[in-house]
Amino acid sequence: MKLLEYEAKLIFHNHGINVPKGILVSKDEEILLHLHDIGNQLVLKAQVDVGGRGKAGGVLMADEETAVETARELFSRKIRGLSVTRVLIEERLPIEHEYFVSITLDRASKQPVILFGDTGGVDIEKAARDSADAVRRILVMPLLRNVPAFQMRELLGDAPEELADSINKLYHVFCDKDALLAEINPLVTTPAGVYAADAKLIIDDNSLRRQKIAVNRDLSRREREAEKHGFSYVELGGNIGVIGNGAGLTMSTLDLIDHYHGKAANFLDVGGGADRKRVCYAVKLLSGLESVKVIVVNLLGGITRCDEVAKGIVDAGVSQQVIVRLAGTNEAEGRKILAEHGYKMLDTMEDAVKAAVEMAE
Amino acid sequence: MIYGDKNVGVIVQGATGKQGQFHIDLMNKYAREVGGRGVVAGVTPGRGGQEVCGVPVYDSVKEALSEHDASASVLFVPGRAAGDSIMEAAAAGIELVVAITEHIPVHDTVRALAYAQIEECGVIGPNCPGLLSPGELKLGIMPAHLFERGNVGIISRSGTLTYEVVNELTRAGIGQSTVVGIGGDPVIGETFVDVLARFEEDPLTKAVVVIGEVGGNLEEEGARSTVLPIVSYIAGVSAPPEKRMGHAGAIVAGGEGDARSKIRRLKAMDIPVASKPSEIPGLVRELI
Repeated sequence: MKLLEYEAKLIFHNHGINVPKGILVSKDEEILLHLHDIGNQLVLKAQVDVGGRGKAGGVLMADEETAVETARELFSRKIRGLSVTRVLIEERLPIEHEYFVSITLDRASKQPVILFGDTGGVDIEKAARDSADAVRRILVMPLLRNVPAFQMRELLGDAPEELADSINKLYHVFCDKDALLAEINPLVTTPAGVYAADAKLIIDDNSLRRQKIAVNRDLSRREREAEKHGFSYVELGGNIGVIGNGAGLTMSTLDLIDHYHGKAANFLDVGGGADRKRVCYAVKLLSGLESVKVIVVNLLGGITRCDEVAKGIVDAGVSQQVIVRLAGTNEAEGRKILAEHGYKMLDTMEDAVKAAVEMAE
Repeated sequence: MIYGDKNVGVIVQGATGKQGQFHIDLMNKYAREVGGRGVVAGVTPGRGGQEVCGVPVYDSVKEALSEHDASASVLFVPGRAAGDSIMEAAAAGIELVVAITEHIPVHDTVRALAYAQIEECGVIGPNCPGLLSPGELKLGIMPAHLFERGNVGIISRSGTLTYEVVNELTRAGIGQSTVVGIGGDPVIGETFVDVLARFEEDPLTKAVVVIGEVGGNLEEEGARSTVLPIVSYIAGVSAPPEKRMGHAGAIVAGGEGDARSKIRRLKAMDIPVASKPSEIPGLVRELI
C-alpha cells in the first residue's frame, strides 16, 4: 500500500531523517492558527496519491500572508481527477543541491537495490534514460543491518559524504517497515544539513498487519466486499463476468476473452478450495454489476468438487446466463445438477469463453 | 527427476493445520501408488508427539531429522512464520524446501533465501503449488491424476494455469518429466534459469514449456540461458497496466515486464509463444 507523503515523512522523521517543518491541514480547518513557527516562506502540497503531482498543479508556493488563500485555491482543485482533502504546509528549504535516492527489491538478485542520482527532482527518469551514469546502483546483502561503507562510497561517488547517514537511515526504514519502495526525491543539502524534501513509501500488503497500518485504498464498494471474502477482484468495465481459481488461470481466461474480441467485466480469483458458499457469493457479486450480461466460471483444481460448485451456482440463481467449465472431482454429478437447472457445463475453457463471447454480443 | 526420485524422504512443516493434514494424506497416497517413501515426519512447534494421517509430528525439524531420514521439506506454515521455517529447515540440513505458503512478507522471503543460500539449501516458492515428477515424486499440492509420465518439462509461475497446461498435454498424449511451480511472488527461490539448468542435466527431458505471467523479466532470462527447446505461454496480455491481478508478481509497472513486450522479446529469440493454452501441445509436438 502506498502511503501519502505526510505519512511517509512521519515515519522518516521517527527514523532520524530530517524532514521540513510542517503541518497537515484539512479542508475546513482554521489554517492561520497553525502557521506560526513554520516560517515565512512556505510550500503547500496536496496530499493525493498521484504521480507527477507538481506538474499537475498539486504544489503551490506561498508566504505567511498568502498561505490561507493559496490553501483554499489548492482545496478547490482536482489533481488528476482526485479531490484535495488534506494539504501539507511546509517551510521552504534553502536548497543547495538536490539528489535522488530510491530503495526497492531487485527480483533478479533477490536483494535490496539502492539507486542514487547526483541530480534529483522531477526529471530524474529522463536523466536516467539520457545518461547511464546519472543514476548509480548498489545491491545490499539482505542479512546486513547497515549499508557497508565501501558500497556507500561507490554509491555516492563525488557527492557529499554527509548524505550517507540519511541514505543508511532510509535503508533502515526500508527494512523495518517492510517497504517495497522507499524513496526521497529530492534529497537536499541545506546550510542546516540534509533533508528529505519529498517522501515516498510503499508497504508490502502482506505486512500491513504486523506494521499496524490501516488500509485506506480507494476501492469500489464491490471491491471492498470482495476483499472481505478473500477474493482477488478488479473491475475492468466490460460485459462478461469472469470467475476463476488461481491468478494465472483467471488471467488466462481474460486473455482468451480478449483473443475472441469479447470484453471482460472483471477479474475474480476465488482462491483455493472453492466450495458451494464461496461460489454462490462470487456469482451473486458479479450479477450485481450492471454491465454484466453473461458470467463465465472457469475452475480447475484436482480437489475442487464439481458438485459443490454446481450447487453454489444454482443457489445463486442469478438472472444472467452462467457458463461453466469445471474440472475436478465428481464431474458427472456436477454436470447433472447444472443440467437439471438449465445450465450448461463445457469441457474446455476455450469452448466456455467462445460461448460467453457469443452470448454477450 | 530433477529434484530426486521416489526414494526422497519428505517432511512437512505446518503438519497439523488443515492444509498440512490434507496434503500429507494426498502426498502419501501418491507415494504408495508409485512405491515411494513419501512424507516420513511432520513438524509443528508445540505439537510434538501427535500423529497426522499416521505420520509422527515433532516440535522441530532438527528433532524430526534425528529420528527420520529426509532431504526435502514441504511448507504449509502460515505467512507470518514461513520465513523462519525456511531458515529452520535449512539450518537443520534439509536440501530442498518447497514453500507452498502464500502471503509471506517479501522481506521475510528475501532474508530466508539469503540464509538458505548460505546453508546450501534450495528453495522453491513461496506461493507455489510445488513440483511433481510423474511416477516418482510429488512435493506439494498438484492434482496428480492429471499427469502422465513423459519427456516434457514444465516451469510455471502459476498454480491452476499449470494444471490447465498439464491437462492439455496429457489429453494430447504428451507426458511430463517434471512439472515445477516456481511461485507467483516477486521474489522467489529457484527461478526459470535455475530450473532450466536442472532440466538440461536431466536425460528424461527433451523440451520445456515455460509458463509466465506479467511482471519482471525472468522468463526471458531463462530462455536466454538454456540450450533446450522451449515453448512459452505468457498470461496477462489483456491485463491493464497498474491493476493488480491476484499476485504481487503480476504488477505491470511502466511497461517493464508487461505481457506483450515479454512475448515480443521471447519471439525475438525464436521461441514459439502460444497465444492460448490449447496451442501448447501442437507447438511442443513440433519440437520433439
